[in-house]
Amino acid sequence: MNELMAARSLTTRPVVTLGGDAVAQVKDTVCDAAAARITGFTLTGRGLLSGPLKEGLPWSAVHALGHDAVMIRDRRGLVAAAAMTAHQQHLRARLLGARVLTEAGTEIGTVLDVVVEGGTGGRVVGFRVAASRRFVPGHARHRRRVYVPRGGTLTVTGRALVLPEDAVRHVADDLPGFTALVGGVPGWWRGSLS
Amino acid sequence: MLFTEVRGLPVVPPDGAGPLGTVTSLSVDVVSGCVSHVWWRGSRFGRETALPWDAVGAVGPGAVRVGSAAADESAPPHHDLLGHRILSDTGTGQGTVLDVAFDTRTARLLALFTTRGELPADRLLGLGDYALVVRAA
Repeated sequence: MNELMAARSLTTRPVVTLGGDAVAQVKDTVCDAAAARITGFTLTGRGLLSGPLKEGLPWSAVHALGHDAVMIRDRRGLVAAAAMTAHQQHLRARLLGARVLTEAGTEIGTVLDVVVEGGTGGRVVGFRVAASRRFVPGHARHRRRVYVPRGGTLTVTGRALVLPEDAVRHVADDLPGFTALVGGVPGWWRGSLS
Repeated sequence: MLFTEVRGLPVVPPDGAGPLGTVTSLSVDVVSGCVSHVWWRGSRFGRETALPWDAVGAVGPGAVRVGSAAADESAPPHHDLLGHRILSDTGTGQGTVLDVAFDTRTARLLALFTTRGELPADRLLGLGDYALVVRAA
């Protein structure tokens, strides 16, 4: 399985062509309405004083999403950013801060970050969640952050994500543990990853 | 021969006169996997000039003998391979280039020595301002 990474860590990652030139850096990640996969990135220029670019990077132009750079074939893959984000959502705008519930109505917490799979797939694998006190008991000032797998059937209703009951049976404390969880534990979500 | 050995060698004209200057770096055509230009400068604060490989008579030992010192004005933008960042085509960092071995007769690159070990020259994909892109193993 490819490396998992938090979507926030993609910000400022350079966008590099296979010819070795850096054309931009990632500003934000755009994903589809069902929060299933990445559809592209909005970009900023690479200089200290350069602002956001009018061009965006659709996922179809991405060669590979790697640990140190987003590789693209050449700069002609960039499209107008307005067209790309018209019907989709910025992570920052829609998903971050959304409530996470189970189908039975148990409140899990709120989304802090989205975990995506690197490589060529661009799948959304799970969420980093600020767990509510009922879901993860603990001291009030010491609220736990857990990684929750996305699962196959997630419904987005307004500002809430509704997960199946099975998805929250196992959660992880950190990203390596989460990688082992979604990659190593046999379960119904495994087929959606490999 | 290694790039670090060629750097600093005197550039000697064909008629046997004194050296014109010293070699500062070599530029590489990644597609063909060959050294394309020799960059040299006449004095310490002089401008660097590119010399196409065809104009170079012999490299080493102790000097670079050139056929003619006519500068190639149409040389592509120069990216020094030494110290350049390496990225695989999957977007993972692979260290930086320490040294490059090449054949002085055919100008072909033989191998790259990086901070993460040796890299065969046939895995190069592209060389730009940000990184040298190599095919993932």
